[in-house]
Amino acid sequence: MNFSPVNICLLGVTGLVAVGFYGLLTTRNLIKVVIMLQILVKATVLGLITAGNKSGQLYLTQSMAITVIVADTIVAVIGMAFAIQIRRQVGTLDTNDLSSLRG
Amino acid sequence: MTVPVWAWIIVLPLITSPLVYFIGHLGKSRGIFAQRTALLALAATWVAFVLAAQDLQLNGISRLMVGSISLKFDGLSLLLAMIAMVLGSFVVVFSGHYLANEDGQEKYYAMLVAMIGVMIGLGCTNDLFNLWIWFEAMAVTSYLLVAFYKDLPTSLEAGIKYLVQSAAGSVLVLLAIGLVVAETGVLNLDEIRQTAESSPALMAAGILFVIGYGVKTALVPLHTWLPDAHSQAPSGISAMLSGIVIEAGLIALLRSLSALSGVTTFWGPLLMGFGILNMVVGNLMALGQAQVKRMLAYSSLVHVGYMLIGLGIAFSMSDVIGAQGGFFHMFTHGLMKGLAFLAAGSMLYTLHISMGDHRPLLFDDLAGAAKRYPWAALTLSIALFSLAGLPPLAGFMSKWQIFVAGVDTHNGWIIAVVAFAALNSVFSLAYYAPLVNAVYRCEPSAIVLSGKRLPAVMKLPLMLMALGIIAIGIWPSLMNWLTEPAGTALLASLGG
Amino acid sequence: MAALLVTLTIGLPWIGALLVLLSGDERPKLQHTIASIISVAAGISAVVLLWFTSDQPVLSIPMGSAFGVFTFVPDALGVLLAVIANVVGSLAVIFSIDYMKGNEQLGRYYALVMFFIGAMAGLGISGSLLLMFLFWEITAFCSYALISFHNDDPKAVAAGIKALIITQLGGIGLLVGALIINSFVGSYQINAFLAEAESLPFNVLVLLAFCFLAAAIAKSAQVPLHTWLPDAMEAPTPVSALIHAATMVNAGVYLVARFFPAFEIVPGWTTSVLVVGMISALLGALMALVAADLKRALAYSTISQLGYMFFAVGVGAVFASQFHLLSHAIFKALLFLCAGAVIPAVGTRNMRQMGGLRKSMPFVFTVFVIGSLALVGLPIANGFFSKELILEEGFIHGPMWAYIGMLLGVGLTALYVSRMVFMVFYGQSHGEKPIHDGLLWMRVSLSALAIGVFTTWLLAGVLSDLMAQTLPFHGIHAIGTFELAKEIVLAPATWVSLAVIALGIGVWILREPLAGIKNLLRPVARIIEKGLGFEQLNQGIINGTKNLSAALHLTQTGQLNWNILGIVGMLSVLFALLFIGV
Repeated sequence: MNFSPVNICLLGVTGLVAVGFYGLLTTRNLIKVVIMLQILVKATVLGLITAGNKSGQLYLTQSMAITVIVADTIVAVIGMAFAIQIRRQVGTLDTNDLSSLRG
Repeated sequence: MTVPVWAWIIVLPLITSPLVYFIGHLGKSRGIFAQRTALLALAATWVAFVLAAQDLQLNGISRLMVGSISLKFDGLSLLLAMIAMVLGSFVVVFSGHYLANEDGQEKYYAMLVAMIGVMIGLGCTNDLFNLWIWFEAMAVTSYLLVAFYKDLPTSLEAGIKYLVQSAAGSVLVLLAIGLVVAETGVLNLDEIRQTAESSPALMAAGILFVIGYGVKTALVPLHTWLPDAHSQAPSGISAMLSGIVIEAGLIALLRSLSALSGVTTFWGPLLMGFGILNMVVGNLMALGQAQVKRMLAYSSLVHVGYMLIGLGIAFSMSDVIGAQGGFFHMFTHGLMKGLAFLAAGSMLYTLHISMGDHRPLLFDDLAGAAKRYPWAALTLSIALFSLAGLPPLAGFMSKWQIFVAGVDTHNGWIIAVVAFAALNSVFSLAYYAPLVNAVYRCEPSAIVLSGKRLPAVMKLPLMLMALGIIAIGIWPSLMNWLTEPAGTALLASLGG
Repeated sequence: MAALLVTLTIGLPWIGALLVLLSGDERPKLQHTIASIISVAAGISAVVLLWFTSDQPVLSIPMGSAFGVFTFVPDALGVLLAVIANVVGSLAVIFSIDYMKGNEQLGRYYALVMFFIGAMAGLGISGSLLLMFLFWEITAFCSYALISFHNDDPKAVAAGIKALIITQLGGIGLLVGALIINSFVGSYQINAFLAEAESLPFNVLVLLAFCFLAAAIAKSAQVPLHTWLPDAMEAPTPVSALIHAATMVNAGVYLVARFFPAFEIVPGWTTSVLVVGMISALLGALMALVAADLKRALAYSTISQLGYMFFAVGVGAVFASQFHLLSHAIFKALLFLCAGAVIPAVGTRNMRQMGGLRKSMPFVFTVFVIGSLALVGLPIANGFFSKELILEEGFIHGPMWAYIGMLLGVGLTALYVSRMVFMVFYGQSHGEKPIHDGLLWMRVSLSALAIGVFTTWLLAGVLSDLMAQTLPFHGIHAIGTFELAKEIVLAPATWVSLAVIALGIGVWILREPLAGIKNLLRPVARIIEKGLGFEQLNQGIINGTKNLSAALHLTQTGQLNWNILGIVGMLSVLFALLFIGV
């Protein structure tokens, strides 16, 4: 395997996705959960740019990447707002304490 | 450039949504202002919808380029728009009393109208990335609506789970889009279909689409958010979520996957596999639930399963009846599940919410409800029996159409799947029927006796929807104008 | 004209249902009146339809692509079913005037009964399989809703749901069968299928034959899917008489008879029908022999008699099966309605707490005995002719062992009917004194049915004539009533079975001296009383499903990490599939 820019980027995407999902699987802190989501989004942004590079459509994927960043910021903001509201109403940020709905 | 009439059914809700919010802010009784404005906005959209539907029938599919993004209005768009409009209008009418005591109603109606517009837009796009944007916008509006009771711990819990899981799914969709762009270099769905060749990367992209959109579509085992969200949201939103939002996810999935239909023959069996899994798990989970809305939520899994079987048949056999059946079921499910949630919601309102109480509605609460609330009880029963597929109700007819498609393939495996689906349909009676029996008991429960009166405005949507279910059940070809173009559109996008 | 009559036969009861519902539970008198007048009108229109039988569709409604054309073909087989449904239906409604007096939710009761009557008539007359399936399911639904009419009683609710689920399980057979026929023949029309049956691929025909048999077994409560019928006795008694004795349970027999010409050539099919019939006839009779509950005993007897009809179809005697179907509908409805008069009067269903009612309820006693005569098969009741015809055909066309089995059944029938009549009407009184001997409207419908017991066999000639004319595929020969009666009376099989009946009654009379044998058989009786293990099997399946469901509920932990695992896990599974190389 050679260390061409595309391959390095792909490695980065894989790594970030792995980190993100590992985090989602293990962390119980809501703030960290939102951060993990952001890590995943960064992975996709990197992935989109790489894809544009490979197919020669860089201008297209760059604009897509910017859109993704904007859109996912909104999600992150709502996620954080939920976290705050949960901290207020439930008094915890531990996701395992947020499992009253089951069965 | 002339703007085609169908563009207005996207634009109108989107531009009126902020208007609903601002008008709602004026005056003291914010809820009523906002609701009336939302109704007006929807009425205007209905006009555009009727014109667009006529235009589609007369002139066929029409396209529009906005910058480099291509939009088109075909049968599938019409179907999604129709379900969204029908359900949305009923929900707005229904919510007036339901939310009368809540804060932030103007946000609720604004978000609801926006969600309707966004979903119609989702149906109209012909661009892979644009599809994701609409999808994400729909997700954002639905997060806020699910967690509408922002001071209730359970509501927040459902909201955050929904958000995290959906966001994780949407990341997978983006990765898939990246793979598609890397391989083909285009985003237009038609162009992708023409350039896509079988390659591992595109196979992987397809799988990522299935899982990514599958979270929203509630494919088992990605469904875990659904029972929480559906049971905790205000009943109107439960109806929207179950009746149209998860179906919108399914349509997004179909649009993306159909662009990759040339890559492999694996998609059809995959969809059917998920269909079977959804039916089995949904049924077993719905059995033994004590909460009405949670039971209905799990039953949504089952019905997504039926749709997947019809659409899977369409994918693997290029069979138009399967597609038509799947979409017919999508429409009837919207009506039936919408009605079930609204009827249960009307009971929840009279028994709990109007007392300022946010406890869940239990099976036991409804004992003997028919005595005090005959219409709510009757419509709830109709919805449940239609969901269980008893003739002559709409749910039976749409299932039948799926089954016809399955058996027409003359494929032993698919016939077995059809028999299995029928078996599941029978099984579902085991949890629907006891509820109906409880409702028709002679001795009302204490809660029913102390319940409030059910306002006539809330009965209206219930009765109209029940009437629709019966009418379609007796005369199933009534909806052909809707389902046939949708089926043809899917097949066209499969290149068939 | 025929189209109008078909519409009236199905539509009148449905309109009646709507009217009763709309008139409101505050006006019970109006509800009784509407229900009985309209059901009688519907009964008349069904009878008039007998003059307009035809093998061609008289009414066709195109429904669009996947739903084919809904047709109504009033051939003799179908109209017979419709006439029974509407006539017995109207009598059951008239009986209900007294039986249901003072009950709550009368509107729901009458609406469901009338809805059922219309659907049952439609089931017979429909010429399209999809339409037939619709009516088939509506009857199952009404049956369920009426069994659990007393929703406050958990036993009734459980019984209703059980009946619904078991008959629907069988219904899957009909559903798949209808779909396969549509896919291979290109339409849902029954006659089109019967005409083309032989050109279908053989394995498809085999599949169809057994799909339909499964549906018939479930609907007609034949062993091993019979367990719902005894439980269904939680229904109000007129409903038991109408749905669970006279009409709906016949639908299975009707189905096998209707498709007999197509499946005749499938090897093993006729034998299967015959064996199902024989086993049900015998086990039903055995269970009736030990049942203590009057209605359950009658229900077991229904299973047994339906077994005779299956047996008849199995030996190729379609006419005999339909003839017995008619007779049975009349006399079993009569017996059930008698039970409906007795039970509220004495306040119990347990026969051990009855006894000696002969003196205090002379009218009910007389008509009950008339019904019993027919059930046992004694001349000149209708049951005599139809049952003897079945036995004779079985003797000529069927295997010897099956004939002997059916003869044994005849003996058992005589025995359990004797026991039933004795326990209820003779001996010492064990319970309270009855409060009435059948009220006015009860007596009206009981008398009508009692007259029917002695007269309906006279219709045999007309019936065979109509069937010969309108059933092109069944090969039924017309035969005059008296010719037939003569043939039956002179057949050696008849004398054999009369001897067996005498033996059966004799065993009952001599029960004291035979007590030793009875004691020996006691453990066997106990097993039979528990339903021969079929009930445990049902319960086992239900419990298994419930446990599975409870186990699956644990997977919804409500924890976010776990939910994410679902996503990641499924993604990994699919990628693994990709790498394996699907």
